[in-house]
Amino acid sequence: MGKKRKRSNSETEAKQANEPESKEMSDYRFSDDLPPRKLKWINKQRVLVFASRGISHRDRHLMLNLRKMMPHSKAESKMDKKDSLLAINELCEMKNCNKCIYFENRKRMDLYLWMSNIERGPSVKFLVENIHTMEEMRLSGNCLKGSRPLLSFDPTFEKVPFYALLKELFVQIFGTPNYHPKSQPFVDHILTFTVLDHRIWFRNYQIVEEDGSLIEIGPRFVLNPIKVFEGSFGGPVIYSNPHYVSPNKFRQMIKQEAKEKYKNRVLSKKGKEERTPKGEAYKDIDTYDDVFETIEPEKAKGVEKDVFQRKKE
Amino acid sequence: MKAKKLKASVPEFVETDASEDDANDSSEDEDRQLQKAFEKGELKPGLNAIVPLVKKDFVNNVKALKSKLEQIKLKYDWVETLDIVNAPVDTTPDVKQQYGDLKLKINKKGFVADEEKEDKAQHDFKREILFYQQAQAAVLECIPRLQKLKIPTKRPEDYFAEMVKSDEHMQRIRTKLIAKQTAIERSEKARRLRQEKKMGKQIQREVLQKRQQEKKELMEKVKKFRKGETTLDFLNEPKKTSKPKKKLTKKAKYKNEKFGYGGVKKRSKYNTASSAADISGFRVHKHASKPKIKKQRPGKRRRQQMRSKR
Repeated sequence: MGKKRKRSNSETEAKQANEPESKEMSDYRFSDDLPPRKLKWINKQRVLVFASRGISHRDRHLMLNLRKMMPHSKAESKMDKKDSLLAINELCEMKNCNKCIYFENRKRMDLYLWMSNIERGPSVKFLVENIHTMEEMRLSGNCLKGSRPLLSFDPTFEKVPFYALLKELFVQIFGTPNYHPKSQPFVDHILTFTVLDHRIWFRNYQIVEEDGSLIEIGPRFVLNPIKVFEGSFGGPVIYSNPHYVSPNKFRQMIKQEAKEKYKNRVLSKKGKEERTPKGEAYKDIDTYDDVFETIEPEKAKGVEKDVFQRKKE
Repeated sequence: MKAKKLKASVPEFVETDASEDDANDSSEDEDRQLQKAFEKGELKPGLNAIVPLVKKDFVNNVKALKSKLEQIKLKYDWVETLDIVNAPVDTTPDVKQQYGDLKLKINKKGFVADEEKEDKAQHDFKREILFYQQAQAAVLECIPRLQKLKIPTKRPEDYFAEMVKSDEHMQRIRTKLIAKQTAIERSEKARRLRQEKKMGKQIQREVLQKRQQEKKELMEKVKKFRKGETTLDFLNEPKKTSKPKKKLTKKAKYKNEKFGYGGVKKRSKYNTASSAADISGFRVHKHASKPKIKKQRPGKRRRQQMRSKR
């Protein structure tokens, strides 16, 4: 019940914020006065960023990078993999978050990422590929901690309904709300989301000059969408990616390919052995004996036509 | 009996639970399929069973996607979200001239074409350029918008706040960058010096040879003068500038070819693929197996006789 009351509070706040009234702090205040509330902060997004147990160091760094980038994020201790994903919804409600980014590691190799809108869904599951964290030496940009990013999207994010939904989710999760208490008042970096190879490529650039010179800050990663669920961490599937190949399958394919190579080699050896004539009768036969046995090109039939041709003069 | 056992181990499949998903190990899936097939009685005794080919059907529920989007869409001003949909900027002509066409080719299926993937470095470069240009286009569009709304985009010099990367980290990046730069400069300088040295040596050698030649000529002329064959006119003659090139004798040429003249001697005598294939030096008569008349060793008695004669 208490939670519900809170929500209604925020709604009224939003209404108030729409009115152009901003109270300035007076010079004389009493010590027991409550500080005036900032009413301009309308877009109240809170994102819970956390991971499952057993994520690798790089995944953890990526998670911390995201937390650093998003002043509206909240942390939570690692979750047991055995727990049902539905428990995350409760966790978020307890933490007063309405969005969630959840990292999940399988086999200590593959990193999956869930993004969810807690109350009504949807939730999306991605496979994260090509991770580069902010700590890498060649990513030499820097920006204020908590400054608000510009969010740039590929035109595909407008055309395809699936990507349009993802765009809205990204905007709500990665965009820092205006006037967020922990945010900075300057816009000095930009996040880009680009669709290439049916994947979403994430980049973060510092805006150096306003004529468009940029330096990459990091992190960079690629999101390979797997499925979209209608609810938060559950519910019917409303989109599944036909181009997605699970990493298990991919590894299997690579192994298969290697196996095929060996198999082919063995087979060709065996085939050659079978083709060469054996036995006493063939002992003295020279394989090149019939090299000079020719026929007239006019008499050639079928495949022979390729071999016996009259030279054109 | 066996069937019952298998049935007991099959976990209950809950449709709504998202964790029961394709991310599970494929082997597990296969097991379950086998178990199901066994229950239905599709499996016959024996090791191999034909698994019916099940085509995976993918969901793309456009209606649901659109309604969901409508449901969650934020109806705030642009300032609250700062999002923008934009295409990358066009490459400027001078960039195009320097790097060629930077556009990635996309095939019919929407993937990057295979021909792009041949050169990995080029592929990476083109891809990064694409992202960069998209960000550039967004910046060029958004910054004027922000300025119109009077939102600061530049931090004043005296505004200090915590940065995403610490000063220590940035220092490390800086030293690394400088080290890289100096390494490049150093190698460039070394290469230039090497080139100069090489040229200098050649010039010096030429000068020395020229001087020797002149001296030799002069001495010859002086000798002739002593013999009374010529006058001393040659002292007033203008100096010859170009020296006639000495013609190589056939022998010298052959020796140069065989032992090398100038250049690196190392490894020059190794066999290569072409040298191994070269059979121009092959002489048939050297290798042909002629029936040689072999001088037979005389018999024992004969030898003894020869000895006694001596």
